Amino acid sequence: AHEFIDAFVKKGSCYALTYNTKIDQDNTAALLPNGKLILSVDKDTYEELGLQGRPSQYSGKKVMRYIVTVDLTDSGFHPDSKKHNRVLWALKEKKPLEFDFLLAWYNPGAEGSTLMSYFSKKQIQALKPKITFSTLRDLECPVLQSNELQGKPDESCSTEELFEWLGAVLNQVSLNNKSSSFLSTYCCPQPNTMVEKAFLCTITGFIIPEKIIQLLEQLCCYFGEPKLAYWLTLTVHGFADSPVSWRESEHGFHKGGENLYNFVIFRNLDYWLQMAVGTNDDCPP
Amino acid sequence: IHLLINNYKSTGWYLLNNVFFSQVGAALPVDVLTYEEKTLSAILRVVSSGLVKLWSALTLLGFYQNRRCAFRVLQASPFLLALSGNSRELVLD
Repeated sequence: AHEFIDAFVKKGSCYALTYNTKIDQDNTAALLPNGKLILSVDKDTYEELGLQGRPSQYSGKKVMRYIVTVDLTDSGFHPDSKKHNRVLWALKEKKPLEFDFLLAWYNPGAEGSTLMSYFSKKQIQALKPKITFSTLRDLECPVLQSNELQGKPDESCSTEELFEWLGAVLNQVSLNNKSSSFLSTYCCPQPNTMVEKAFLCTITGFIIPEKIIQLLEQLCCYFGEPKLAYWLTLTVHGFADSPVSWRESEHGFHKGGENLYNFVIFRNLDYWLQMAVGTNDDCPP
Repeated sequence: IHLLINNYKSTGWYLLNNVFFSQVGAALPVDVLTYEEKTLSAILRVVSSGLVKLWSALTLLGFYQNRRCAFRVLQASPFLLALSGNSRELVLD
């Protein structure tokens, strides 16, 4: 285990998240790029594991979930220390926990082994994010002004209206219902313009922040040359079953597990950043 | 608030129309934002104070025109955008 920490956790940024585990039902684990291993376990597992943790913030009066945090890069956590040995004993012998993990490692100028070669003796599969493209035609888009966050009557829409509209577009909600419509009264906020073609790209997978930054930089380059578009958006959804949302704030599912952020980038490279969390979350920084 | 729901038995479009607007809609305005026949799932929009009423109405709906049916709420969120990315649906090849 210590070779893993030296090779991947202490160098570059290593990310791991258990796959197919529900944060409100199952045991879940995550490794953060700052070297902290977070275990979110149910009461029975916690008691059997014997490691020190704290009750979950979202557990209610009768605590059913505990969070154990182990700092793998702590100077006190080396192969000879008591702490290290206890953690290893708990996880290997006392209550062995098995998970499928999604793993990613970012190391610019990488030399030495990669995750694939390190885990070659175990079951590891290299995966790429799934990318889909679509073109939306004749789309009603809200008119926005970068310095008018609340919108200006008859001139631009507010940030909330944009946020709702974006949700409608991405869920294929019809945008032009009449207020007397039987089924739905949702319509595109005013003022809006009809855009002949809009481009939508969806990337699904275990995507690390470093890649998102690269994507953001590329999107900013889009406005390097004159373009008809006034603004573009980048929406990032966090995993609903991750034990943490922003930084190390505990995250719970409640009714939806949402934790997401949305960039709106304007032609002049002004931008809006909107962040949203669910009920069982702390406010984003 | 927005609900993403899934209808188990295929009682179809009419169920959403008639049932909601006769039983729930009379008391509470509900928008049916989307409906997908293939997956039998829909997105509903209701004012926050009406969430409990709507959710209970959906839960208690067991029959429609003598056919059994059941509704399951997959996701509920005040943000429509949050419904467009559900990591619980992530399937790896």
